[in-house]
Amino acid sequence: MAADRKNVPADAFITISNVSPGCVTIDRLIMQDFDGNYLDGAKTPPNEWPIHACIFKARPDVESISHTHSKWSTIFSVLPIKLKPMHHYGKFLSADGPPVYEGIGLVRTVERGNDLAKALGNGPAVLMRAHGDAVVGASIEQVIERTTRLAMLGEWNHLALLHGEPRYLTAQELEVYNADQRFPMRGWEYYVSRLKDRR
Amino acid sequence: MISTPCNGPAFDSGELKELKQKLVDGCHILDREGITDGFGHVSVRVPGSETFLTIAGVSPRCATLERLIMLDFDGRYLGGEKSPPYEWPIHACIMRARPEVMSVCHTHSKWSSLFSVVKGGLRPLHMYAKFLPAAGPPIYPASGLIGTVERGQALAAALKDSAAVLLRAHGDAVVGASLEQAILRTIQLAFLGELAHMAVAHGEPLYMSEEELATFSAEPAFPARPWEYYLSRVRERRAP
Repeated sequence: MAADRKNVPADAFITISNVSPGCVTIDRLIMQDFDGNYLDGAKTPPNEWPIHACIFKARPDVESISHTHSKWSTIFSVLPIKLKPMHHYGKFLSADGPPVYEGIGLVRTVERGNDLAKALGNGPAVLMRAHGDAVVGASIEQVIERTTRLAMLGEWNHLALLHGEPRYLTAQELEVYNADQRFPMRGWEYYVSRLKDRR
Repeated sequence: MISTPCNGPAFDSGELKELKQKLVDGCHILDREGITDGFGHVSVRVPGSETFLTIAGVSPRCATLERLIMLDFDGRYLGGEKSPPYEWPIHACIMRARPEVMSVCHTHSKWSSLFSVVKGGLRPLHMYAKFLPAAGPPIYPASGLIGTVERGQALAAALKDSAAVLLRAHGDAVVGASLEQAILRTIQLAFLGELAHMAVAHGEPLYMSEEELATFSAEPAFPARPWEYYLSRVRERRAP
């Protein structure tokens, strides 16, 4: 699920109301405040609304959050080896890769949401052990692109590790890249064009 | 202000119509084959000039005749859409260094990205690799995008007289004597990368030696056959 807090009352956000991202429509969105109170829209909040509420509360810079059960985030959440940038698509990550939230169980309480936000810290992404990931950004477009790239990097790390230790990008090398997306709309246009095939 | 190319046809010249369509087709083929995503670009030299056509800051998948740009080898705008790809020096610097190169593809191919950071190189183990040396393509080791002429020249130096170069933590650049050849080589490089990756998982595969590679003709025997095939796959998608 993806959530966004632009153009809504302070301390509130919009997300999808307990429906698969594949089945979401405009009519199946919900607005909640950071305490989980219902504000508007469809009436069934996602089970794990505290992921969004607690991260938004802790990180005023964050405009959008995605939470997935990505195969590649999940695998690196349970391995002793970290998912580290070995391609510039990982330039939004630190050289030692995203942290792992170790707690087991769904993030259905504010206590767990706060623990997750703490594990995320100031970073762009956190892996959730035996669960998936949470990815944040300054816009929906950025979060969606980061989430797809985190999955690509996970796959590429997996492939590379079968050959031995790959050559990762160092912290110094990562600084060579502009941290911001140079062309935020190019990736978005590409992904939207793929949706049109399906629609 | 559009500067005039020192020689060769202008961007809007009817002479370039066929070449532009081929460029758009080549972009759609790389997308269809799963090699490019939101990024990557293809260029083609305008015959008889120091200018080239490429896509104007758009995913290869979304390329159209209206989203092409013409640049000279110094990056000067000569026509078309106004947003050059950030990494235009890849094309300009390679074409300047290699007068026989008519087309350059740059992708973030999964397989090229992989072999750019693992030990051993992407060594030929199938005859599709006949355009590569036995040691596999060279690797351009620097991190960072090719946003300057200096980096473009360093990339061209790493490519040297090869058909392909891997860009570390980035992807590849592949050249050809025609757009069709550059596209086909890019697809074959990805195919070889996947094959080599799978083979290495079984232990050390039997690679092809320099002498064995030399038994194959360097030139494609039937260049039009794979182009027709890949184009037919794109047309399936374009059909309503």
